Amino acid sequence: MAQILKKTYNLFFNNNRLQRIWILAKTDFKQRYYGSSLGLLWALINPLCQLVIYYSVFTLIFQGSVPNFALYIFSGLILWMFFTEATKKGIHVLNSKRYLLENIPINKFDIYLSSGISAFLGVLFNILIFFIVSIFFDIKYSYNLLFLPLILINLFIFVLSVTFFLSTIYIYIRDLDHIWDILLLAGLWTIPIIWDQAFVINKLQFLLYLHPLTGILINIREILLYDTFPDLFILFYDFVYSLLLFFTGLFFVNKFSHKALEMV
Amino acid sequence: MLNADTKIVIKLENVNKTFHIREKRYLTVRDRVYNIFKPNPKRKIYALKNINLEIKKGEFFGIIGKNGSGKSVLIHIMTGAYPPDKKGKAEINEKFMRLSLGLGFNPEISARQNIYINASILGLPLKVIAGKFDEIIQFAELEDFVDTPIKYFSTGMKIRLSFSIAVHAEADIFLMDEFFGAVGDEKFKEKTNKVFKSTFIEGKTVVLVSHDLNTIKKYCNRVLLLHYGVPVMIDKPEPVIQKYHELLEVNT
Repeated sequence: MAQILKKTYNLFFNNNRLQRIWILAKTDFKQRYYGSSLGLLWALINPLCQLVIYYSVFTLIFQGSVPNFALYIFSGLILWMFFTEATKKGIHVLNSKRYLLENIPINKFDIYLSSGISAFLGVLFNILIFFIVSIFFDIKYSYNLLFLPLILINLFIFVLSVTFFLSTIYIYIRDLDHIWDILLLAGLWTIPIIWDQAFVINKLQFLLYLHPLTGILINIREILLYDTFPDLFILFYDFVYSLLLFFTGLFFVNKFSHKALEMV
Repeated sequence: MLNADTKIVIKLENVNKTFHIREKRYLTVRDRVYNIFKPNPKRKIYALKNINLEIKKGEFFGIIGKNGSGKSVLIHIMTGAYPPDKKGKAEINEKFMRLSLGLGFNPEISARQNIYINASILGLPLKVIAGKFDEIIQFAELEDFVDTPIKYFSTGMKIRLSFSIAVHAEADIFLMDEFFGAVGDEKFKEKTNKVFKSTFIEGKTVVLVSHDLNTIKKYCNRVLLLHYGVPVMIDKPEPVIQKYHELLEVNT
């Protein structure tokens, strides 16, 4: 037992693996923002613009009754934007990191991990903004906040597993980008991010959970918006299917990812 | 020159590599649906046939053969990028770096970032990289282009850079895939010469794929001759090169 623990410990520590993953993630992140004239400001402008658009549309057209509707949308958008960015980048990860995979002894998992982390940096940035903005609203925080890292880890595992699948499917279907764009659009409108969850009549509330991100979204809102204890059953359920997806995805990556290098 | 008990760093056992290729490749949904009932015969391409090979630490190993004889595929098998067919086994036991004409960099980012990424993957901690950074740049003669994106580099610059990284970041195995062509001036050639001569002292291993038979003759201890994926012979450079010439004559 002690040996197994030591082995798992040595997988990540006692070497420079974490540094390596971090350097890759950091360079990815920089490449994304520093190349443009406004630089890192884009990471701020983009969510704010989306927020303004959705907020104005939904308060002008529908008479919403959600308190702090702007923050209600923002908390969901943080999650959704991470999902979109990470998966869109993840589709191409085997090609964009080909220059490493072919030439140097790198673990494929590290590639996926760093690509996910580089998108996740945006989440941390957005949450920081959320906290700053929430000062101007009537929002309290308490020890419930301790659950936030756990749920974010859950979200990260889920997103990573989706990129496992997408990147392997992309080897065989090259127009997956376009298909995925459509699925993302459908995904955004079937989850209560920009509309009030209460729109759905009580009997059909369970349908919301067919969307894989709903559980995570609701728990994040419980913590960030309502300062309540998260629903533990949902948390457990989300973790279980995320881990299941994670390991099946890993299996697919191990079995098929080399084809991305072979099929030039 | 090589002791019998030196460590084996690359080991290939019963390695075959078959590519399954269809006449036409349909990679979009539209193409796949449109052509669902059209015949699309499968073809097998045997890129490598039954390769058994052990390369020891400190060896300078050459691979020669005509175009399309499977040299590059063999290198890819060694790095693990391509898995061998079932029952075959490919092992590489030390840190390697594959060096091929100007590849191995992310063209969008600067030389500095690329150096950090590559050296870090080879196992160097950040502090050590920072300490060796100037040395890497000087050896590659790129002092004026440290923060220039790689996409503006010439092939020669990229070659010098990747060679410099491999040398200074302590890669143990150099897999050179047509790495030295007509590029690099005399000064740089001198440098590489020096490095090659000292590889035996430092115990580095080099696998060299080349059409330049002079280089092969000059440096290699052993040479493998590939012909349509079949290993024809493994021996000292002279007899292998002679055999290679014979094969070429038969075919023309």
